[in-house]
Amino acid sequence: MSTRRAPSRLTGYYFGLIALLYLPIAILFVFSINANTTLSFPLRGLTLGWYKNLLESGAVLRAARNSLVVAAGSSAVATALGTMVALLIARYQFRAKRLLVALAVLPLIVPFVVLAVALLILFSALHVDRSLWTIGIGHTVVALPYTLLIVVARLAGFDPNLEEAAMDLGANYPTTLRRIVLPIIAPAMVSAWLTAFTVSFDEFALALFLAGTEPTFPVYLFSQLRFANRLPIMIALAVLLMIGTLTLVFIAERVRRVE
Amino acid sequence: MIRALRLSTRTSGLMLILALVATACGGAAATPTQAPPTAVPPTEVPAAEMTGSLTVLDWAGYDAFDFWVDFQNTYPKVTVNFEIGASDADIYSKMKAGDQADIFHPYTGWLQFYVDEGLVEEIDTSRLTNWDKVPDSFKKIGQINGKQYFLPWDWGFTSILYRTDKIPEGVDSWAALMNPKFKGHVSTWDDGPGAVTVSAYIHGWDETKITPEQLATIKEEWIQQRDVNLFYWAGEPELVDAMANGDVWVAYAWQGAYATLLGQGVPVAYANPKEGRNSWVGVYGIRKGSQNYDLALKFFDAKLAAATGNNVVNLFYYGHSNQDVMNGITDATLKQAFSIDDPTILQKTNFTPNLTAEQLDAWTAMWAEVKAAP
Amino acid sequence: MLDRRATFWVLYLPPLLWLGAFFVVPLILMAAFSFRADMRGEVLQWWTPTLKQYAGLFAAGSYWRLLGISAFMALIVALISTALAYPIAYFLAFRAGRRAGFYLVLLLVPFWTSYLLRVMAWKFMLGSNGVINSFLMYTGLIHEPLTALLYNRNAVVLTLIYVWIPFVALPIFAALQRIDLALFEAAADLGATPFRRFWRVTFPLSLPGVFAAFFMVFIPTVGEYVTPLLVGGSRGSMYGNIVQDFFTKAANWPLGSALSMIMLIATLALVALAVRIVDLRRLIE
Repeated sequence: MSTRRAPSRLTGYYFGLIALLYLPIAILFVFSINANTTLSFPLRGLTLGWYKNLLESGAVLRAARNSLVVAAGSSAVATALGTMVALLIARYQFRAKRLLVALAVLPLIVPFVVLAVALLILFSALHVDRSLWTIGIGHTVVALPYTLLIVVARLAGFDPNLEEAAMDLGANYPTTLRRIVLPIIAPAMVSAWLTAFTVSFDEFALALFLAGTEPTFPVYLFSQLRFANRLPIMIALAVLLMIGTLTLVFIAERVRRVE
Repeated sequence: MIRALRLSTRTSGLMLILALVATACGGAAATPTQAPPTAVPPTEVPAAEMTGSLTVLDWAGYDAFDFWVDFQNTYPKVTVNFEIGASDADIYSKMKAGDQADIFHPYTGWLQFYVDEGLVEEIDTSRLTNWDKVPDSFKKIGQINGKQYFLPWDWGFTSILYRTDKIPEGVDSWAALMNPKFKGHVSTWDDGPGAVTVSAYIHGWDETKITPEQLATIKEEWIQQRDVNLFYWAGEPELVDAMANGDVWVAYAWQGAYATLLGQGVPVAYANPKEGRNSWVGVYGIRKGSQNYDLALKFFDAKLAAATGNNVVNLFYYGHSNQDVMNGITDATLKQAFSIDDPTILQKTNFTPNLTAEQLDAWTAMWAEVKAAP
Repeated sequence: MLDRRATFWVLYLPPLLWLGAFFVVPLILMAAFSFRADMRGEVLQWWTPTLKQYAGLFAAGSYWRLLGISAFMALIVALISTALAYPIAYFLAFRAGRRAGFYLVLLLVPFWTSYLLRVMAWKFMLGSNGVINSFLMYTGLIHEPLTALLYNRNAVVLTLIYVWIPFVALPIFAALQRIDLALFEAAADLGATPFRRFWRVTFPLSLPGVFAAFFMVFIPTVGEYVTPLLVGGSRGSMYGNIVQDFFTKAANWPLGSALSMIMLIATLALVALAVRIVDLRRLIE
């Protein structure tokens, strides 16, 4: 660490932004304990009843589970594929390179809903039933540009001499990749994986079109928006998910600090 | 260059083959999320023992047990799987794309398409024990070309919902949605055919025979209407929120929103415009080629039964096609919402006619241009 | 080298096949749909190509204007969110130390709650009864609620910026992380002030990440439709809303496909232009 200023403006900026980010969450929390079914002041009394209803609502919990499964699977695939392309871009020269880059980044340009319909047509033509798998496939395609860009930004300018050195020392290329390159780009891969996970977990344009009998949470939520009396349960779940994740994050941090 | 070309054709050929193999394997290996449709056992099997499975393409929320509770109780061993459709267009698209659901749930306006495209089976109403509880006017709504293709199930009104404290003089015409007096406090449904219907009512035009000139006028009207419109609502909760906190004073609304707001004690009224209210009906159809025709009929029969009907009314504030259920409503809020005490209400109501493909295309394109206009 | 060659194929084939099957082929199908006259008949059947959809779109000029407006809104969102996210990324890379991972995840956690609900809550904040208005009225700064905060284009832009900032920080953070700290030492040895060091060393080196971040926001935002739907009001529709309407309300896949093709081509053109200006080749070479 070079110059170290007091934890001043930047830290303040970060925490200020965090506060702003979490403010709507706080509002959601307030309404999850609100006795009314609509989002307006004045509040009409507090209740934990919505959380109780949630625990009895198998469908909501199942939708949340589906989202987790789809996000975990699709983000893993997207990170793997994105890293592959990033390595190709950074380490190889080949004729179709520009084409591959363009192809891999192109999903960013295609509106989700367009890709959704295109995939729907494809799956119908091949008589593949819509399911969590089809949603997952859609998610890998849209997450790929993100994972690629994140890993490639890390790889760009990363000194190839390290690899040369390893190979001069007798390692073959796959080993070099595995033992030299991957550990160094691992943080970027984690970053990419997190991004892909986030993209998938909350995504609903694709999921809406490609869902079969099992919905993901955003799909379920969006369709419940028609019915006002279901809304507080959904908010309760969203709040719980958040509290759960935050708890995990804090625990992980504690553990890391102890180490 | 040539080398690259050879490489790319080889690659693309390989790519195509592998892609097809991968998706075929993926399709076969995918965890089955529903039991494969089985042949319906002969009717001698008692209801409580009957097994099998049905897939229903329905709107979100209707997969709750409350809305098929009679079927659940009568045939406890039959599995019912639900696929969720997000809108009429979505359901139609899915059915066209070859969705294998046995039963689907469209609303009036869209019914002609299913018949024209050969997507729906005729219903053998002689096998429905609850069929006689459905009023004739509703039965007719499920008939296309004289044949009973659809089972009417849920229904409701569309009218103008308004805050009585903000608009004490009341509302008596659909033109209120375009009234500059309410600038910034109007909300209408985000739907082209709905907008055309409203304009047709206001001008006294026949909504089944809108000419291109009339459509152009309608488009201009709704472009002007954006000046008074606060936002287009896509779902009732949005609208209910906005009316409850006073942002919206007058809106195109279904009676579900009305009942919800009444229940919250917000001072609202549901207009009886001089042009008449609109009404829509949700219907169930059986996919042509479904292997579960008999089971589907049993499902339909149970959908018409009293317990299911009461849940529709009490939980969703929608009407049900079983007349006994409607006659049995005692809750004051609901009676007000459905104008139960007005026996002539249905005569004054305009039921949504079924659109042709040209109309749907033209009217949705019109609405898109309204939203895109500068 | 043999194993380098073999590794090439191992790296090259899976993404290529995956993208081919699940991206290229579907898009080709969609392009084919844009030349279809109507949806009558089977989903997949032979149809005679027609330019009817495109002709209709060219005749209705308002879609072009909307596309331009959407692109402009996306530009604003991308610029502002990148600018606002940069200090976050900088903080994470250079000030957070070993807690960087924790702070990063803290930043991302809100995104594991539903986007829809967050936008609805944000909508509540901006609304006439909302937090901002209540507070301003309470302090007496205003007497009537500000209606300009919601149901217009500004609300859409504001909400999108709010939604994108944490996401945008990621690529910038990744790029900042790989800057060799020895460079800072060198700069200090050469007598550079912290600001000069930032401007001449840090910032230029972080540019690939900044550009990645900018495009990551800009391009999908052009086709955005959910936020305009929830907070845009009658005049806040973006091009994506029109596309979505044709698929979800009208079942008019040919027209929707044609609209999408136009957006696709326009965006490609924009990106090609930008790449020319900015020379992204540094990233791939």
